Amino acid sequence: MIKRGITVFALALLLAVPSAFAADGAAIVKKCGSCHKLTGPAAKTIKEVRERKAPDLFYAGSKFNKDWLVGYIQNPTVIRPAGTVYANHIKTTGDTDTVVTPPKCESKLSAGDAAAAADYLMTLKDPKMKTGVAKLGEFSNAKAKMLIIKTEACNGCHQIQGNGGVSCPTWEGIGKRLNPDWVYSFVQNPEYWDPKIWMGKRDLDEASVQLIVNFIAAQK
Amino acid sequence: MKKIVISKFSAVLVAAAIILMGGMTVSASAETANDNYNLYCVQCHGSAGTGKGINAPFLAVAPRNHTDPKAMGELSDANVALAIKEGGSAVGKSTQMPSWKHSLTDAEIKDIVALLRQKCKCTGAAK
Ligand code: HEC
Ligand code: HEC
Repeated sequence: MIKRGITVFALALLLAVPSAFAADGAAIVKKCGSCHKLTGPAAKTIKEVRERKAPDLFYAGSKFNKDWLVGYIQNPTVIRPAGTVYANHIKTTGDTDTVVTPPKCESKLSAGDAAAAADYLMTLKDPKMKTGVAKLGEFSNAKAKMLIIKTEACNGCHQIQGNGGVSCPTWEGIGKRLNPDWVYSFVQNPEYWDPKIWMGKRDLDEASVQLIVNFIAAQK
Repeated sequence: MKKIVISKFSAVLVAAAIILMGGMTVSASAETANDNYNLYCVQCHGSAGTGKGINAPFLAVAPRNHTDPKAMGELSDANVALAIKEGGSAVGKSTQMPSWKHSLTDAEIKDIVALLRQKCKCTGAAK
């Protein structure tokens, strides 16, 4: 009797274990392709950019921190206050533009599916991106703000510590979201990732890039 | 009759050539001034060009009203092109006006200057 019980239990385990692992990340993510681009290249013309419904995910493994990703795809929040492509979500009254509430990410994965999907998304890497280049450490917050707010005016388009424009992603929690090595690459050459991005490339020296990377990483 | 056939054929050839050339323009990815303005500039200068874009309320310095003939008329075409290419700081203005030299070609900037002249219905000051 006991023996039979154990056998049944073992059988149940055998059946249960594979199915718990069966969540197929690639298959889950495939469905996200109705909005997100899962293969490159990025849009090359303004026309293609204006047709973009959601941010590209084909280099998700280079761009995101995995812990953040697992959480986000279970319960997405607003990152871009004026939507993926701000120009598609504005309304003009008189001569003044305002934001028309943009559509949100519709990912609502269970914890198990999110883990599997994130495992798969993290394999979507750009092999050309240099890694280990962001040098995180102590930095002067005052110097960083001088560069970011006064010299480069990043807050013209990004919300930084509660203040700033809305046409680009918020910096609220951005340190949790982005891989510092990707930030290192993106701030130096945004067009490499997105040829028609409405963030103009800046000419920054290495020290300035590292200062920005550190400041961004600290926005948790 | 034969003549008509030939002219029809050459019309097809010309049409094919135009389509091919059109394709070449696209692959060189030159964009129209309007498309560029609507993607890069409207975030601050606004759809109407009057400086009331969605970011404007958050800027320390108001974006230039591109429809103002007085303010725009005081700037030469070269000055406007320089501001777009190198940013506000290159023309003694605010760094809140970014540089677009890596996003736009010189030809595209020239087209945008012409578009701004349409918006202000003004000509540029002499240098
Ligand atoms: C109905 C369209 C839609 C679907 C379906 C959808 N998303 Fe999204 N997703 C969006 C939009 C729009 C955003 C941008 C949200 C923002 O920036 O505020 C977004 C943002 C994201 C981001 C953040 C990207 C970044 O660069 O900041 C991730 C990661 C993401 N989605 C993953 C997924 C996954 C995984 C799925 C499928 C399980 C999915 N999404 C399904 C529309 C969609
Ligand atoms: C981040 C917001 C922002 C964006 C994006 C932006 N501008 Fe500006 N622009 C400004 C601000 C602010 C000023 C006013 C600067 C001043 O008066 O000190 C300005 C000023 C100007 C001027 C007047 C320069 C002068 O010498 O007085 C021109 C011309 C101009 N912008 C064109 C453009 C064009 C064309 C684009 C798109 C390619 C663009 N701007 C994108 C914020 C922006």
